[in-house]
Amino acid sequence: MLIFPTLHRYFYILVCSLLILSLPFAASADSFEQLRKDSANIKTIQARFVQKKFMKILAKPLISEGRFYYAAPDSFRWEYLKPLRSAVITYKGDTRRYILSSGKMIEDKAGGMQAMKIVLGEVTGWMSGKFDQNPSFAATLKEGTNTQITLTPVGKSMSGMIEKIEITVSKKAAVVKSVKIIENANAFTQIDFTDVEINKVISSSVFQDVQ
Amino acid sequence: MKCIPLLIVTFFLASCSTMPAINPPMLSAAQKNFTCPSPFLKEKYQLIHAIEITAAGNVQGAIIGITVADPSTRFVSCAIMTAEGMVLLEAQSEKEKLIVHRALPPFDSGDFAQNMIDDIKLIYFTPQGLMQKKGKLSDGSTACRWQEENGDFIDVIANKPESTEIKKYSACGRLKRNIKLTQTARNPYSSIELQGSEMVDYNLLMNLIEAQPAESELPGKENLKVKK
Repeated sequence: MLIFPTLHRYFYILVCSLLILSLPFAASADSFEQLRKDSANIKTIQARFVQKKFMKILAKPLISEGRFYYAAPDSFRWEYLKPLRSAVITYKGDTRRYILSSGKMIEDKAGGMQAMKIVLGEVTGWMSGKFDQNPSFAATLKEGTNTQITLTPVGKSMSGMIEKIEITVSKKAAVVKSVKIIENANAFTQIDFTDVEINKVISSSVFQDVQ
Repeated sequence: MKCIPLLIVTFFLASCSTMPAINPPMLSAAQKNFTCPSPFLKEKYQLIHAIEITAAGNVQGAIIGITVADPSTRFVSCAIMTAEGMVLLEAQSEKEKLIVHRALPPFDSGDFAQNMIDDIKLIYFTPQGLMQKKGKLSDGSTACRWQEENGDFIDVIANKPESTEIKKYSACGRLKRNIKLTQTARNPYSSIELQGSEMVDYNLLMNLIEAQPAESELPGKENLKVKK
């Protein structure tokens, strides 16, 4: 299946936006410069998430649940537990995708790893809080009750895939609340986070074993 | 050179095969009361399946398939998306007119959307063609055969109480689709296995995530508009 270069581009945009913005930046983080400073202290992040997919065809949103882990500088695991179990794991620069087949997780070898690596390069920049320095997205930051960052694709690479990404960060709890990926006027994905833990030790096996 | 047309005819004849014989009931009363298996939808429904794709013997990936199908109008609306929520294809068919709302490469190529909708109709809708035969297969299964306008044949076979098969043959008897429905008390579409025979053979294993009757007009869709 040749869908995977496209899928991985989308996927990494999703993950990058989550990782970068799962930062416990201070309530006074009113600039991208401040975000950059705050991000320097992040060593690990782990959280649970509920993803709601809204589409015209769906009478009610399709709900998925999962968890994700990040360890600086470049290890992460993004895993769906239901309804369709799958996981993407990056460890020491090696990225693999797994899917559930006949009751066990098997490696999805059809993926466009090259495309994944390219996007992974963007992750590094974002992990450094360089939201406004990624040429693929224009970033704006708005302060209010919550801090909202909007990423708008620049150029044609995301054309027809993503209109914009809105990330809401709670000032009170100082963690990301939600990410909304808007595909078009009739379809969007809302991801809400719970149990966010920052700088808690994560075993390296989390990024190596997929059981 | 004279041999070429003969070779072509021979090739096509060789690619044809014989469909299994359906033996009609012996007694006229039994023939009259014969009921064809009907695993098809009776009302408009929304179904969501986890789909594992295998092609050329290798697992290729897993996606989520969403279908809204109305047997009364043969309306189909469908979408396939990744676990991550990316919609790869969204299309609908109404009054045999295909509308593709979204198709990302490679799903934007060829007749992919039309073929997918044809497969969905094969699974969920009663065949539209003429009834050709009804009776028993040699193994005792109950079977009915329809012939479509394009010459294809569709067999619907009930071989076990919880299992039904739908087979689609070309006009010359080549098996093009073999669909096995394994139902539970909860839903007849709990598990669907579709084997497709095309340029590359493929297999879809579909496990039901959820199913519900669909409203004529899906509720809440007017609220979907995203504020710009």
